[in-house]
Amino acid sequence: MVAATDDFTDPPPDSSPSSSRAAEATVPMRAQPFTPLARLGDLGSVAQSSVPGLYAWAVTVSPAAWSKGAPWVAKVAAMAGLASLVGAAAVEARAPRRARAASVWGLGLTSSIVWLAVPGALGPTRLDAARGITGMVGWALFAYAAAAPALKRPAEPQVYVAAPLKARSKTRRGDMVYVGAGAIAAFALQLVGWGVLVPERALLVRLTTLAVGLAVLGAATDVGLARHAKRLPVAGRLRRRVFVTWLALTVLAGAVGGLFWALR
Amino acid sequence: MHAFDVIAVLMVVGATAAFGVGAGALARADDVVAAYWLVVGLVSLRGAVQIARSGVRG
Repeated sequence: MVAATDDFTDPPPDSSPSSSRAAEATVPMRAQPFTPLARLGDLGSVAQSSVPGLYAWAVTVSPAAWSKGAPWVAKVAAMAGLASLVGAAAVEARAPRRARAASVWGLGLTSSIVWLAVPGALGPTRLDAARGITGMVGWALFAYAAAAPALKRPAEPQVYVAAPLKARSKTRRGDMVYVGAGAIAAFALQLVGWGVLVPERALLVRLTTLAVGLAVLGAATDVGLARHAKRLPVAGRLRRRVFVTWLALTVLAGAVGGLFWALR
Repeated sequence: MHAFDVIAVLMVVGATAAFGVGAGALARADDVVAAYWLVVGLVSLRGAVQIARSGVRG
């Protein structure tokens, strides 16, 4: 993360390569403000993973353990899983490796015991789809947080400061007109065919208008940018030849269309 | 602006109109007409880019 630039040293006015190298330096980054998110980042990996672990436990384990007809073993195992999560987060500072093992294996094993003791608790008649999906997300987040914990912030973060970057080229005048006109044309094409009632046909029309809209936008950009390109000495002759070729194709398309309508 | 650039712009405008007619025909389930106008639009669009870029160095 990079802080605001007002604490950085000012770059030198001359940005030639040699002076750029001279200007390169590392300066301390401004201290980040105290936020709940920053505080969460300072927590250990076990404490971080305990948050989605608690969520997964609450959505998928505790309803099964306290469902109708669940044996006492399921309730004890569920409580043991909760205790392993909270306890591991509490002792993480003293024994981080053991705390991590207790958190992952403790919750995983006790949850398995609960599900084995109450096999019907996660069936489709007892667990609706929304809760099942949120439970899966909770377990996935717990696994991710346990396997790849967030990195701790360094005590004294450093930022590499060099000369300001220069753009290799600037946007020429008129380019925005081409791109804007292409975007308007692409948008206008999206207004066609909204009254189609058949879903498959409506989807086909939407996909087609989207594809041709993108093609129009790309072609308008190409035509706009081609104005600035350097051309060969024989460019005029080449352009005439290309124009005649495409004019012939256009006439051919018109003739085919006219023939089609005449025979229809 | 060069005359060929104007032609390229007009071809892009024509291609857009052809695409609009083709999409309208597609919505009416008139598939042959839709295919015709969409092909005309594609040919016109490709021609516009070819004319605009012909003779460019590199």
